[in-house]
Amino acid sequence: MNRLLAIASNTFRETIRDKILYSIIFFAFIVILGSVAMEEITIGDQDKVVRSMAQGAIRLFGSVIALFLGVGLVYKELERKTIYTIASKPIPRWIFVLGKYTGLLWVLALELALMALLYTVMMWSRQGAPHSSVYISWVMLYMELGLLTAWAMLFSCYSAPTTAALFSIAVWMIGHMADDIWYFGQEAASASVRSASEVVYWLLPNFEMFNATAASVHELPLTLSHFLGVAIYGVGYTSVVLAGAVMVFGKRDFK
Amino acid sequence: MNSDVAIETRGLNKIYLSGFWRRKFVGLKGLDLTVNKGEVFGFVGPNGAGKTTTMKILVGLHSATAGEASIFGVDHRDPESKRSVGFLPERPYFYSHLSARELLRFYGRLFNMGGSPLEARINELLERVDLVKFADIPLRSYSKGMLQRAGIAQALINKPELIILDEPMSGLDPMGRKLIRDIIFEERERGCTVFFSSHILTDVEQICDRVGLIVRGELRAIGSMEQLLGDDVKSVEATFDIPKGKTINLNQEFITSRRTRDDGTKRLHVTLENALVGPTIKEVITSGGSVVRVEPTKKSLETVLEEKIGEVRREINEKTIGVL
Repeated sequence: MNRLLAIASNTFRETIRDKILYSIIFFAFIVILGSVAMEEITIGDQDKVVRSMAQGAIRLFGSVIALFLGVGLVYKELERKTIYTIASKPIPRWIFVLGKYTGLLWVLALELALMALLYTVMMWSRQGAPHSSVYISWVMLYMELGLLTAWAMLFSCYSAPTTAALFSIAVWMIGHMADDIWYFGQEAASASVRSASEVVYWLLPNFEMFNATAASVHELPLTLSHFLGVAIYGVGYTSVVLAGAVMVFGKRDFK
Repeated sequence: MNSDVAIETRGLNKIYLSGFWRRKFVGLKGLDLTVNKGEVFGFVGPNGAGKTTTMKILVGLHSATAGEASIFGVDHRDPESKRSVGFLPERPYFYSHLSARELLRFYGRLFNMGGSPLEARINELLERVDLVKFADIPLRSYSKGMLQRAGIAQALINKPELIILDEPMSGLDPMGRKLIRDIIFEERERGCTVFFSSHILTDVEQICDRVGLIVRGELRAIGSMEQLLGDDVKSVEATFDIPKGKTINLNQEFITSRRTRDDGTKRLHVTLENALVGPTIKEVITSGGSVVRVEPTKKSLETVLEEKIGEVRREINEKTIGVL
């Protein structure tokens, strides 16, 4: 455990010393704050529009950061050959992969907490205390980002960052269209198209499961059973993807 | 497994597949190697011979295609086999955002070290590699020599019983090379086994108890320096001073260089066969000259390596002709 935490804390330190991360967070802050401007150009329920814009920005920039970090982190170890002095220590490779992943989860938690704090302060000053469903939706978003990061890490264990980024973006997009793919398949006349859509639906993650933005924007309650279902799905799916990353990483030679 | 053995490989093979057509490239061909506990073992060979591949397999960076390898009797694939191993890769790369102290703390934690024993070990090593003054600045501002010293320190953090060093002297200035040599000697005194590769053969000759010569993935020779180089004196190099106006009767073929000094004395550097040493010195003294230096020359490791490379080339040529 000590060794896993050593790798995790080193990953955390390495990431938060990366200036690019601050650039992304800076842009996220600008967009979240900028959502207030929507009040001026919106007719109707302006509060909901602002909440929707701000939460959308948190979701988008959270995903960008998860992709950016997940894709680069393992590859950087291989490219810079820093892996040589780690893999030559008495560290099973699964500890290395899980250590890196844990470090990334800490960074994502910090980044999400900063954006959530900004949102809370902004809403408090304009609309009063945010509804509890907002906070639950962020926990669900955190699970989504964890799963997305696991996919990005899996791809980065065997391919260059550009390829890994393309694959990860593809999984992210398909994952957000999972329900559409399912319905498209059910409506198709061809049995093979229907089967293919079902395979894609069950194989790839359904990121929309984690999306509780509608409930939080409209300040609707989220049930515990729904939350637990999503949590089991998220943790289970992430574990499988991480197991894949461990397998791939465990077999490769470091050149 | 023999308890006196630090490293043992049997029939170790490594085949790399490269390119779109997955062409095979043989990295190691049935390597049988034994490194005894407590010895300094030099692993020598031309580029691409398989030195780094062997080391990478031993420390778990590469997998072997076939064969067995063990460290202190433990299978090299078991991460626990690395608990008493220190490894310095060729051209080491470290996290540039860390300082040397943070780096050593990180590597110490990977060995489950911590608290005041780890801090004491870090201070001891920083002192040993002369990085105390730079211990708290990021590694990104280090020179190559400083990085190599930080690399040596991380390889020693766990007080290893076996140190594997891949080209530790590469790119270092004479002081840096001396530091590495001194550390190797100190570690040997402590009872540690040192397995290292180097292209600087004079260092290998000075440091090693035994040497292995590897060419194209095959171990071509192994033994002590005496076994590999022999004790026979091949020839003698000598330097004579001949005063101005004097001459000596010496075959011009023996003279390797000559120059006239400020006082008009001629300084001659000669290489002589053993049988001619006595008569030549007598001739120099009779002529009023003086003997500045006489040094027997033995076979060098470089010569042995060249011979082995030549052997391999001849074998390949014969095989090729056989196929044609």
